[in-house]
Amino acid sequence: MNPAASAPALRTREARVGLALLAVLGLASLAVALGWLAQGWDQAIDDQWSGPSLAHWFGTNRLGQDVFDRALVGLLTAFSVGGIVTVGAITLGALLGGLAGWHSGSAVDEALQYLMGVIDSIPIYLLAVALAFSLGGGESAIILAMVLSFWTATARLVRAEVARLREREFILAARAIGLPAWAILGRHLLPNTVHILLVQATLTFVAAIKTEVILSFLGIGAQDGVSWGLMLAESTQDVLAGHFGNFLAASLLLFLLLLGLNLVADALQDAFDLREPAR
Amino acid sequence: MRPLRLLSSLLKRLGYGLALMLGVTLLSFTLMVQFGPDKTFELLGKNPTGEQIAEVRRELGYDRPFIVRYGAWLGSLVRGDLGASDTTGEAVAPLLARALPVTLALVLPGYLVGNLFGLLLGMLAAWHRGGAWDRLVLGGSVAGLSLSFLVIIILLQILLSTPYGLDLFPTRGWRVTDLSSYLHYVTVPTLALIGVTLGYNTRFYRAIVLEELGREHIRTARAFGATGREVLFVHVLRNGLVPIVTRLLYSIPLVVVSGSLLLETYFGIPGVGKITFDAMTSGDQPVLLAVVTLTAVGFVAVQVLADTACRMADPRMAQS
Repeated sequence: MNPAASAPALRTREARVGLALLAVLGLASLAVALGWLAQGWDQAIDDQWSGPSLAHWFGTNRLGQDVFDRALVGLLTAFSVGGIVTVGAITLGALLGGLAGWHSGSAVDEALQYLMGVIDSIPIYLLAVALAFSLGGGESAIILAMVLSFWTATARLVRAEVARLREREFILAARAIGLPAWAILGRHLLPNTVHILLVQATLTFVAAIKTEVILSFLGIGAQDGVSWGLMLAESTQDVLAGHFGNFLAASLLLFLLLLGLNLVADALQDAFDLREPAR
Repeated sequence: MRPLRLLSSLLKRLGYGLALMLGVTLLSFTLMVQFGPDKTFELLGKNPTGEQIAEVRRELGYDRPFIVRYGAWLGSLVRGDLGASDTTGEAVAPLLARALPVTLALVLPGYLVGNLFGLLLGMLAAWHRGGAWDRLVLGGSVAGLSLSFLVIIILLQILLSTPYGLDLFPTRGWRVTDLSSYLHYVTVPTLALIGVTLGYNTRFYRAIVLEELGREHIRTARAFGATGREVLFVHVLRNGLVPIVTRLLYSIPLVVVSGSLLLETYFGIPGVGKITFDAMTSGDQPVLLAVVTLTAVGFVAVQVLADTACRMADPRMAQS
């Protein structure tokens, strides 16, 4: 299906809200990355636990740092971790799924499906625990764990689609006129799986952000820098003492980002009629 | 002819399941032992001699080839010997056997009620497809999908366990002796588990019910005068049983494993998730290896069972 076909789907009200949310949050994280916003996030700039004010929208934390600034840096972390995981998992899924589908029924296909079966049997959190254990923790271990765990969903869908398309006449024709396999893959098969990749990219992004927050909270992910998971970990002590800044700022941005992604994912799924049972 | 074909397809499924289990053990052993941290110097005193180092490495099996070590470990795994914890020296098998009932007591209520609520909301939405109820349920589920598990837990805790809310339940712990203390400690985690799964469950059940409602046997049933309740709870449920049971079983690793890891760590509950977390922070390799391997092996076993049950319930599936 032509990716341009997704344009009307993104004109529903829900999709517009989702896109607007993503645009605002994306621009904000870009501003953080370029150094225009939230640069004082690691400095103590006021008394500890000063309540919300015009200068500090969500107050300050235990160390007197601006909570909203830290939440904005967490936004950049979420976008970068989510982005890396999504690109990695979707690329791997498209390549290996395409390979399995093109050779469907062969030993290559069997081997790849077996590999996916093995990986799918290890829950993501345990895979992350295992990798963090052997690699010594840190952001790279959890990114690797998520890529390793998330590519199979995309690969299964791409495999099925490519295996189906391979028997279609336009592909048979392309093979009959002697087009090499890579040209058929690049010119005919890949463009016809773009709709799957788009939907999977939004869903993977959601899963990656959610997983990163929980892993960071558990101390498996980011150790320095700022992640919403770390802010929420801090907030578990704060809320018992009546300080809600960390909790509100981190969960509000997290919710808005996930909502934007979910709304766009829904619109894309409706447009391509790709609604599979939610996982 | 048919029973024979069913048997052969079941045997094939079982063989594939065993192959998957073997792959899972190989992967977790490779990740955590082959690429895991070298434990030689943890076990040695200061300034060890060359012989002492060689001695410890021999005890740990580092001098043997990978395949021999994997084989030896696999052998003891099959015999039920999971080794001993690096930190406490306690045997891992009884440690996990003691923790598993706690984990099940913690997550089962939320798992079951979450699916039940999801089913009911899914039915409500599907029955009123496109109507106000449908839009409300779908909108709520999108919002639910956008909430992190962690956010739900903290929010519930503020509302139910702190003086800033109702302050009815304990903030952490698990001192369960009887039913009332069980309810006291399990309520907030259960609500959190329902909250985090409800969005996904509702969408899934709505899709299943919608698909069944569009089938011809439903039209026939209605023509024969079946009421809405009969249609939903008898005709739709019975025919949607295969995907529902499959999902119930397949969602176990996510809900039980991930749920217990976060809930038990957060609330300080001594189940498998807490043991996993503690083993991770202290670098306790035998415990981590056992948890990862047994969970994956157990999940493969559940898949085979689910598949077998579905094939026996629906002869059409036995053909594939």
